[in-house]
Formats: sequence, structure tokens, C-alpha cells
Amino acid sequence: MRGPVHQGGAGLDEWLEKWREYFLTYYDEGGVEEKAAEAAEFARQFIDRALVSVSGGKDSMAMLHIIATRVKSSVHVFHWDHGPWLMPREVEREILGGILRVAPGAYVHVAVYSRGFSERAREEWAPWYEEFYKALEELTRRLKVRYHLLGVRAEESSRRGSRGRVADRVRWVEVHPLYHFTWRDVWAYIFRHRIPVPSVYYKYAMLLGWEKARLVTFFDREFEKYGSPQLDSNLSWRWKHNPTAQASR
Amino acid sequence: MEDLEIVFHLSSPISLGFPWVFFDSLLAHVMLREELGEKYYSLPTKIPVKDIPRPPLKYYRDVPVASVSIIEPAPSLQVFSYFKRGDHPFPKGRISRGSGFFKDFYLKAVYAPAQRVRFYATGEAGEIKRLVGKVSALGKERNIGFGFVKKVEVAEAEGEYGLVKDGLAMRPIPVKYLRYYEDSAYLAYKPPYWARESVELCAVPFTRVELG
Repeated sequence: MRGPVHQGGAGLDEWLEKWREYFLTYYDEGGVEEKAAEAAEFARQFIDRALVSVSGGKDSMAMLHIIATRVKSSVHVFHWDHGPWLMPREVEREILGGILRVAPGAYVHVAVYSRGFSERAREEWAPWYEEFYKALEELTRRLKVRYHLLGVRAEESSRRGSRGRVADRVRWVEVHPLYHFTWRDVWAYIFRHRIPVPSVYYKYAMLLGWEKARLVTFFDREFEKYGSPQLDSNLSWRWKHNPTAQASR
Repeated sequence: MEDLEIVFHLSSPISLGFPWVFFDSLLAHVMLREELGEKYYSLPTKIPVKDIPRPPLKYYRDVPVASVSIIEPAPSLQVFSYFKRGDHPFPKGRISRGSGFFKDFYLKAVYAPAQRVRFYATGEAGEIKRLVGKVSALGKERNIGFGFVKKVEVAEAEGEYGLVKDGLAMRPIPVKYLRYYEDSAYLAYKPPYWARESVELCAVPFTRVELG
């Protein structure tokens, strides 16, 4: 193979195994179990009137596992599907499969971005937010829920840190059970409980480091100012063109 | 037409905008720059497809017989993060640096610490030698020092390896031209590589193929 590595080759498995050992050790030493128990207790007080938002990223998947296994299995889950031009179907299938495996008793509500089937979705992101909040608002009203549980962590950014663990957003109240988790805690929890996350994470983590690997929309100009499309072109080149008619692998 | 092996010796790591650099695209770039002179630097982002020069290469149907880059030693990608800030005179008063004209960029250059980049091609040897001599840097982010060329060597190759070598595709080849292919993806296979019209279901470089 003469192409660049970081594309799921043999080196990836070896590298992943090394890190798996590290995170499993950290799980005990870092007190991750105690943090998860505390997050579950915190979530419990809101769960009866809550909707759990799951993007399929590491934080929301860890949160979903904590809630579904320790608090309540029959939770309402909201997932936003960006459509094939922003979220390749292979990744989306992994996300939905992961949600169903982690929370088999959950009621999963999936809203699909109507413009996500057009290439323009990569260029124009304003309608995305509009449609997303509309769908979320409708579901909130229909289910008569008050709380939205999100996988937001204070460590992620100063803006997220300033939101606090509970944030009143008028239309609903945001609750962040994993607020005090670090990226190490989250990955340790994922490895310890074998939580399925999209495999694309590992390719990005190998190049960027675990703390910087994030699941965001692919080839999205919204993230151009962070250099994301450049990374996608190298690591996810298969999805650059024509993702609605992906070739088999 | 001669079978050629072109080796660029680098003095700095190569930054990549895609896993591979296309040799025919590189030649087209040099030819266009020669043709347009200084005007080359003030082109609109995407010029009409018909204006892209045709490199002096052999063609298999409409596929240039020119390989993609073979980076040596085998690339292990790295990331170089940097800020790109506007260097224009800022106006008085408040400006938005998060979006719009004065937007700041926190960019990531993906690069591979490489010593050599090898290509195979079949074409007019004299003209190809002349054109590659004008390549001072390869890959992306050349303006900040990536991919500097120390020396370029053009030698005769043992065979026509621009399309297939040892049973492996050396570039994207549309599957409609193949009897067998191991792996496929939607890829651009002819210049301009950014154009939607150039994208087809192709065999992936360095995977097993048989020409039809």
C-alpha cells in the first residue's frame, strides 16, 4: 500500500489496542466509575420529563449509556440526521446502530435535514440550524418534556464551560450530566463499556490526538476556519464526491 | 512517447490536500502558468474547463497515462496547525473576525515527512523534462515552506507504469475501462480534478485491477 496510512490499515489496530489498555487502566485510577455514578444520579432528577439528545459522538453516546443502563432504559432520544452530503451513510448507519445497541429500550426520534441530500448543504449551513431547532421544538412540545439532556462538557471550550450544568433556554432547560467529565473520562468510559462509536473517530484520533477527535459534519464549510475540510480530504476522501451513491468497499 | 520515471527529491515535508498528487495535473498547472504569465495569479477561483491545457502525455481513452504520487518513505501523516490572519489594513471601529472579510482561520495542514515523490508517466520526454524543471515545490501550502523540491530526476522507466504496475492501479481509472477491480470510489480521474465533470466511479490507486 503506497497511499497514506491513517486510513484503517494494519497500524490502526495495533495503535488502538495500545490505547485501549491505557484507557482501561485510567478508568480505575481516574475514578471514572464514581463520576459516571454521580452523573447518573444527577440525571435521575430530570429524567421523567427529559429528552436525550444524541448526535452519535463520543460524549452523547457515553451519556446515553449512563442513562439507559443506570437511570431509565425507556428514554426518549432525539437524533438529527444531517443527510448524506454532510454525514456519510456509513457513519449514519453506525450512529443509529450504536444508539439502538446502547439503549435498546429507548424511543428513538430521528429528524432528517431536508437539504442534506443536496451538495449545497456543504456550502450553506444557516438553514440547518433553523430546521434543527424547529424539529426539536416540535418534539419537545409533542412529548411534553421540559429538559434536554446533552453531552456537553465544561472542558470542551470556555463557552461551553460558561453554560453551567443546567441552563435555562426558555423553550426548554438544558441539562449536562457529563459536565465534569474530561476527554479521558469519556474515552475510558467508552472503552470500559465497549460503547460503539463511529469508527471514523479512530482515524482522526490517530492523527489529531484523542482530545481533539470530534465527530462533526464532513466537508462542511462551516468548519473551514478550523481546517476541517482539509483533514476530511485526506482522511475521508471516499466521501468527498457523490456520497449519495457510494461505492462499495 | 517514452515511458518515464520522475523523481522529485524534497527538502521539506509535503503537505497534502488529498491522499495523492496527480502528475498530469502538475504538468497542466505548469503549462497554464507558462501560458498566462502573471495573469495566472489573478484568475477566478475556477476557470472554465475548456481552458485547461492538455499535458504532453499518452492517453488511454480519456485517462492520462500518468501515475499519482508515490511518497517515499511510506507517508505517516502529521498535522501542522497555524493561524491565518488578515494582513490588510484594518478599518477603524469594530470588525468581525469570526466571519466575513476579516475572518481569522485556524487551519490545519496535513503533511507527510517525505524524502522523495515518485511518478510514472508515458509522454514526450523532452517536454516533460522541461516542464518538471519548473516545479519548485509540490503539494499544498507551498507558500509557507512545504514540499520544496531540491532536485528532479527524469529517467526511462522499464515499462508503461502510468496506469497499472504489477497489477496495481497507479491512478484512479474509471471502472468502465476495467475488466476487474478490487476497490472503487467516486474520484476525479482527469484534469481539472476539482470539477464535478471529472468525477466517475474509479478503481482506487494502489489496489488490484485488470484493464478491459
